[in-house]
Amino acid sequence: MPLSLEAKGITKAFPGVLANDHVDFQLEKGKIHALLGENGAGKTTLMNILYGLYRPDEGQIFVDGTSVRLNSPNDAIKLGIGMVHQHFMLVPVMTVAENMMLGTESVKKGTGWWGPLSFLDRRRVEKDTRHLSEKYNLNVDPTIPVHMLPVGVQQRVEILKALYRKADILILDEPTAVLTPQEAEELFVIMRSLRDQGVSIIFITHKLKEVFAVADRITVMRAGKVVGHTTPAEATESLLASMMVGREVLLTVKKGPAHPTETVLDVQDLQVKDERGLLAVRNATFQVRQGEVLGIAGVQGNGQTELVEALTGLRKPEAGHVLMAGNDITNDSPRKILETGVSHIPEDRRKRGLVLSYSIADNMVLCTYYKPPFARGVIMFQEAINAQAKRLVKEFDVRAPSIYTQAGTLSGGNQQKVIVARELSRPYNLLVAAQPTRGLDVGSIEFIHKRVIEQRDAGHAVLLVSAELDEILSLSDRVAVMYKGEIIGVVPIEEATRENIGLLMAGITTEKEVTHA
Amino acid sequence: MPEKQGWAWGDWLENVAVPILAVITALLVGAVVIWSVGGNPLVAYKGMLDGAFLKKRAFTETLVATTPYIFLGLAVAFGFKCGLFNIGAEGQFYMGELAAVWVAYNFQTWPAYIHLPAAMLAGIIAGAFWSAIAGYLRGAFGAHEVITTIMLNYIAIYLAAFLVGMKGPMRDPRASVPQTRPIANSAILPRLNELPAIMQHPAVRVGWAIVFAVSVYFLLKWWFAKRVTSIRRKQAYSGIIALLVGVALFIGLAHLTALGGPFTDPADRLHLGFFLALLTSVFVWWLLNKTTIGFEVRTVGANPDAAEYAGISIIRNFVIAMGISGALSGLAGAVEVLGLQRMLKSFFSAGYGFDSIAVALLAKNDPFGIIASGFLFGAMRNGADLMELRSGVSKYVIGVVQALVLLFVAAPVIIRWLYRIKERRGEKIVITRGWGK
Amino acid sequence: MDFATFMGLLPSILSSALRISTPIALAAYSGVLCERAAVINIAIEGMMLVAAMVGDLVMIYTGSIWIGVLGGVLSGGLLGLVHAVFSVSLKTDQIISGTAINIFAGGVTGFAYRRFLAMPSIPRPNPSTLQPIHIPYLDKIPVLGNVLFQSRPILYMMLILTFLIHYMLFYSPWGLRTRAVGEHPEAADTLGINVYKMRYINVILGGLVAGLGGVWFSLEQVGHFDMLMTNGKGFIGLAAMIFGKWTPFGSLLAAFIFGLPEAIQINLSFYFPNIPYQFLSMSPYILTIIVLTGVVGKALPPAADGQPYEKG
Repeated sequence: MPLSLEAKGITKAFPGVLANDHVDFQLEKGKIHALLGENGAGKTTLMNILYGLYRPDEGQIFVDGTSVRLNSPNDAIKLGIGMVHQHFMLVPVMTVAENMMLGTESVKKGTGWWGPLSFLDRRRVEKDTRHLSEKYNLNVDPTIPVHMLPVGVQQRVEILKALYRKADILILDEPTAVLTPQEAEELFVIMRSLRDQGVSIIFITHKLKEVFAVADRITVMRAGKVVGHTTPAEATESLLASMMVGREVLLTVKKGPAHPTETVLDVQDLQVKDERGLLAVRNATFQVRQGEVLGIAGVQGNGQTELVEALTGLRKPEAGHVLMAGNDITNDSPRKILETGVSHIPEDRRKRGLVLSYSIADNMVLCTYYKPPFARGVIMFQEAINAQAKRLVKEFDVRAPSIYTQAGTLSGGNQQKVIVARELSRPYNLLVAAQPTRGLDVGSIEFIHKRVIEQRDAGHAVLLVSAELDEILSLSDRVAVMYKGEIIGVVPIEEATRENIGLLMAGITTEKEVTHA
Repeated sequence: MPEKQGWAWGDWLENVAVPILAVITALLVGAVVIWSVGGNPLVAYKGMLDGAFLKKRAFTETLVATTPYIFLGLAVAFGFKCGLFNIGAEGQFYMGELAAVWVAYNFQTWPAYIHLPAAMLAGIIAGAFWSAIAGYLRGAFGAHEVITTIMLNYIAIYLAAFLVGMKGPMRDPRASVPQTRPIANSAILPRLNELPAIMQHPAVRVGWAIVFAVSVYFLLKWWFAKRVTSIRRKQAYSGIIALLVGVALFIGLAHLTALGGPFTDPADRLHLGFFLALLTSVFVWWLLNKTTIGFEVRTVGANPDAAEYAGISIIRNFVIAMGISGALSGLAGAVEVLGLQRMLKSFFSAGYGFDSIAVALLAKNDPFGIIASGFLFGAMRNGADLMELRSGVSKYVIGVVQALVLLFVAAPVIIRWLYRIKERRGEKIVITRGWGK
Repeated sequence: MDFATFMGLLPSILSSALRISTPIALAAYSGVLCERAAVINIAIEGMMLVAAMVGDLVMIYTGSIWIGVLGGVLSGGLLGLVHAVFSVSLKTDQIISGTAINIFAGGVTGFAYRRFLAMPSIPRPNPSTLQPIHIPYLDKIPVLGNVLFQSRPILYMMLILTFLIHYMLFYSPWGLRTRAVGEHPEAADTLGINVYKMRYINVILGGLVAGLGGVWFSLEQVGHFDMLMTNGKGFIGLAAMIFGKWTPFGSLLAAFIFGLPEAIQINLSFYFPNIPYQFLSMSPYILTIIVLTGVVGKALPPAADGQPYEKG
């Protein structure tokens, strides 16, 4: 089998991390090759090297058997390499056609000699895009601005962009992270059809099931190194999992049955708008009781962010009510809501959860700095702040040189532990945990999962919002599914399966599966 | 695990060495500029040094020039701590001058212990009001303070030109040039050479002795807190020392002329405003680092999203931070009028606004650093005239040097590269934000 | 004053407003060029001031107004290059870099003014301003002819630039790339567009346009350089750019609105001698604040505006 792409001995170091350590990788022509590994294993770094965005410190790259130097994405594009990034590289305010031609613009005949000031030929690009879209059955309208397209279609625009540049090697970086199980299936159909038309595909993922669904070959990376090559026929899920993590992994969380008591959070007909003024949460009604975990499942961008922001006072709802232990907190300020006993692990820890330039100690009093023993009147007491930080760092196993270390220099897992420590260490009734394990390593995920269940067993109410279906299924006592801003079903955990929740996430309801809470 | 949050060697390099090297480099480049227009850099800089320190009364004049820079540097730094870029310090300074001088030449019958504080307070309030407008517009409507404060500068300049100008209501009708009436004696912020006369009144001495003794008492109690365990002994020690200080002051203040220098030289202009500026630095440091007000302001500045999440109101803190910033600028104006000018002339731009940005940034917004950088800018301003006289090089070349200082401080890459200083790891602090958020 | 008098003055008010809006509009275009590529430029004021000074100097030494204009424009471009080096390559805070250039401009123009310009009887060409050009036939149109077609050259250039920049931004590959760099530089980078190069080109172009706005003061309006003669027009231009939603035509309209108060003051002060001139002089600044308050938040700047680009 001829190789379309080969990497030999690739090494790349960033300050403090060896991201790639003598990595070898071979992509055969017309195959789908899965690159599997945990967050931070070095997959994306390797791909950015193959796409010319980074230059390796050591190692060689061969395309169709000849050694090449990739100094910029331009070189990669010329060699027929295309990449679909985890975060889409589309300009939202521009149309599909404008995004298609960016960097390789077509101009009207007769104006070419003006160089970069020639007249853009939008018509021709639109025609070409339509043509290409039909050829690969991608169904994209080139005249629409990208920000108005659903995420699944935006991804297809990214694939089209690569094909428009005549790519025959396609790198897909975590393409299913933003898709429903059903949309992911559609993507796999597209991938197979591209493969059958001669495109070689590198498929980066950390989800084992997807590897078995679509890959022809598998390479596993861990901590910057390749730990093995295999095929779906030879491997099993648990084998791949232990290759990825380097030890046996408990794929499920141990937990006993829930003993829910009184209602803590009562949400009634909540309506919330997003930045663009569109209704992002529609008629949300649900309750969370003491001693249970209510999981909110759903693909990213279906209103979960806006829901959590409305519950914590960060966004004003348009209509409806939020009751904490019977008290209406609907239009209260974030401070007032926090003081009714809401703890909140925000979904974006670097943006909302931490002040990265502050020390661990100061971050640990971010929500309580004005209360005794940390302050009396306007005067703050640093000794009390430091004493609490020392206690919590030990209790929550935050690995850091000292409590004065800047939060921004910690790893993602330790940053998240700082937030969890802060939020669980103050008195509260309801824990709102939004995407609490996004982007973390397996060790930190296990730690946080254990803490969430402990809180439930201690009698707290927990609202868990997560895009990871497995996380929802293993932690929740009831599962609510959000689709286009609506809670379209609440399913007790005993009845929840990947299949029926997956269907709900795609907006497909049958009366039988929905028990109204 | 290091237990103390001490000043490591790296911190020292970052916070002290880089700014000092930036100043030196800017002076070197400035020398090239002077040389290129036919001046002699050595003569020019020698002139500046003589003008700033060696000429008769040069040093106290430098302190006089330093005073507004310290206040205004603190003002700009306070804004920066909240993520706000207050380019309007100059306008707030004028508003402070206008309000203070108005109170100071009216109400001639008020006693000094009311009139002087009232005039200063008027300046503080006027400056705070002027800048809080910008803070509120930023918080509530997103109107960027870089533009609104500059616009408020121009408005303040025209307002002052109207009030003190030819037909203005604040103009002294008896004066031939547009200016206000001189301020009342009861509103004067004394110069050092005026102090001996004032201190002849025993009541004044008693007042000052008490103020200082009480301050010393509480400072000592705080200092003993960690060192002496017995409460009674703590109180006894502090009380005795405070009492001694009080008595010593009561006696000593009557004999200030013995100190000579600025206390006896009738032409010396050093006034109490300079010492007020030093105290204000300490106060701002305390406010920023030891109080919840400072914590909130700094949190909003470092990460507004996290502040909002933690229940800290962004609008409120924009108004507070801008208000305090403007209050400091207004106080600068009041001190300048009450201590130095003693009246207000119809003026043109004093050029403090942009300079004070450089003062704040050179000190990395550190209140104590601002004393040093304010002194540097005061010295340059004071030395400029003699430099021009001796070398024939226009004093505006100082502006070029100051711009270079600012550029080198804001782009420490250049300094690090020139002097091979390694960059420290850690979170980059965003100084300003764009129009969007 | 009655309605008929006012109507009689209207053409004069409109043409004054357009004249006064010329440097504001040029400052705004400078801002548009820079910020569409995500570089905030508050140094426009300083660039204009330096260009006004250099324009006058070059005119004195060459005896030609037009070479003076060219010199001023180029000096603006040079400061644009400086701003680009600091804000694009060295990743200095863009507003600080701009402030430093403004301080520098104050110093260097004051320095040069004292050294070269503040002497009596410097030989300047006569006249030392650019003269109005009457466009044949069009200048005879009632009202419009007076307002538009009897103007001086930089005003015409400003109007032409409105169309040119609009075309460049929205109909050419250069504009497509510029906007991509301003909205989503990572995306542009992955498509092989050199983000740094685009930003350099745009900031330098912005400097040249600001330079043209600067020489308007010394060589089209006054005839010589005065200290601090730009008087905040560069900052008002930035507000016009924001009000104009980062488009050339929007900026032109906004600049015209900001020019109106001064035009009214010039034309009507004769009829209202009791209103102190200072109040009319401060009106554009008050208007700028009011407009900013009403508009920002509703119009979005380019998404990456003000952020230095870190490759990888």
